[in-house]
Amino acid sequence: MFTVLRYSLSRMRWQILGWGLALALIGAYLIQFFDTMVEMRGQMEQMLSNFPAEMMAFFGDLSQIFTPPVYLHVEFFSYMPMILGIFAVLSGSGLLAGDEEQGTLDLILAYPISRSAFFAGRFLAFTLAALLILMITWLGFIITLPGTSIDLSVLEMALPFLSLFAVLMLFGALALFFSMLLPARRMAAMLAGLILLASFFITSLARIDPDLELWSDFSPLTYYQGGEAITGMDWVWFAALLGFSLLFALLAGWRFLRRDIRVAGEGSWRFSLRPFRMAKQAGG
Amino acid sequence: MDQTFDEETYAIETRALVKFYGRVQALRGVDLAVKRGEIFGFLGPNGAGKTTTIRCLLDLIRPNGGQARVLDLDPQKNPIAVRARVGYLPGELHLDENLTVESALHYLNRLRSGKADWDFVRHIAGRLELDLKLSIKNLSKGNKQKVGLLQALMHRPELLLLDEPTFGLDPLMQQKVLRMICEAQEQGATVFFSSHILSEVQEIAERVGIIRKGVVVEVAQTEALISRSFRRIRIRFKQPVDTRDLRQVPGVEVLSQSDGTSVLMQVEGEMDRLIKSLANYPVLDFETEHPSLEEIFLAYYQEDAHQE
Repeated sequence: MFTVLRYSLSRMRWQILGWGLALALIGAYLIQFFDTMVEMRGQMEQMLSNFPAEMMAFFGDLSQIFTPPVYLHVEFFSYMPMILGIFAVLSGSGLLAGDEEQGTLDLILAYPISRSAFFAGRFLAFTLAALLILMITWLGFIITLPGTSIDLSVLEMALPFLSLFAVLMLFGALALFFSMLLPARRMAAMLAGLILLASFFITSLARIDPDLELWSDFSPLTYYQGGEAITGMDWVWFAALLGFSLLFALLAGWRFLRRDIRVAGEGSWRFSLRPFRMAKQAGG
Repeated sequence: MDQTFDEETYAIETRALVKFYGRVQALRGVDLAVKRGEIFGFLGPNGAGKTTTIRCLLDLIRPNGGQARVLDLDPQKNPIAVRARVGYLPGELHLDENLTVESALHYLNRLRSGKADWDFVRHIAGRLELDLKLSIKNLSKGNKQKVGLLQALMHRPELLLLDEPTFGLDPLMQQKVLRMICEAQEQGATVFFSSHILSEVQEIAERVGIIRKGVVVEVAQTEALISRSFRRIRIRFKQPVDTRDLRQVPGVEVLSQSDGTSVLMQVEGEMDRLIKSLANYPVLDFETEHPSLEEIFLAYYQEDAHQE
């Protein structure tokens, strides 16, 4: 398992550095910009009052934007599930199906390594990659904190990242699970991506549309706190997101242990389209 | 029903192995027995079930019916133990393109807990004229195939499962690889390899299995298969003759005839009845010619086409 873990992490190293450093730079810039925004409070409040409610719904409580938790949420954590969600969905869906479609899994699984150990090595690598990206980003934030008026400890600053981590794990595991059920990695990525997008809109719009409240209870991003975690981390929500991640990972693992490994390429649906084709031919 | 297997004698045994891919039946009851220490050639055209059989033996895919034993082990119950003792070359080899040959081999070797002797790896690489420092993405098809062969051989496995081992190699390299396969056998390994290139099977395989549409239709000693299947016979007569009686002999097919003094025929099965019939003819000369494995192989498939 550790050989697979080490290899997988090594393969993901540029993704980790790329995502981590890019987000760390954005974070460092945002931290530095906080004091400037507080100085321009009057103009900012006037500008925000002109924003439509639908737009404000996506960012949370903008009236409190001059407090560090809300500022960080609005400027960074509110949309991070969508941005880093791309990493989670693509990495999760490709964790096993990517190798299978490239044809490398056929050779690797002919080596004396159990499917469960291989799965564990891969999933652990994804978990560590997500953690490392968030840690590098977190470092970008905390390195620049001392030069600003933001009075947050490094641990408080870590809380929204933990909340984000749980979301990444959930969507990564979901994409992985779909990749074990569907015939192609891209289908799995597309389906998990659609669920992520739908969840983002439902959770955001439920803030202004009471009809969506019931739907938002089933939306994973409702349980994502982002910057709000700084003022009070909801550990039950955090555990629930991780719990569902684990459930989807276990289901994906269960399926992986039982299924046939393809030589290469995408799979196909097991049902026949012949009756439809014949009907079409008869009709046409 | 659990049937007993002869574990002392056979490295691979399958009984009534069945595999479906959705509604397509790839294996329809494959029965095979590969003796320990032999080179066994597995012949069949594309889609006949060669790769599916090999992949069942490694638990990459699970059969829907039947049983398999590999080196005394059930590959479904003990896949890791089986794979630890097997070297496998896939028919469609894909390697991580971002690695060099050396780093790919190191990774694969670590998956075997570092069992390979690195001096042996360098020795094989030298014989295959393979530069270990090259990046895999820059390798030609033939060179990638060499990496595949090297990784299969590098831990000196007890059993080699090679799916089209010489695919993509030039004729000189093909000969080298066949020599290496023979050397592995001399050192005690069993070799089970599939191929389309019948001449190479004929060259190194002691026994041959022919698979057709998911069923093994023939398993025999390579030489015995060649000698017993059919022969081509050219007969010259002292004077023109009427060959109608010869055409009536079961198993005889007249392929060509010229001037009534020379006839080329193909005989399936025993020669006894033909020879007895020829006693009534003024035979001047009689030549028999064994078909190549390729002709036998094609005959199996022509027979199949006729049935359809």
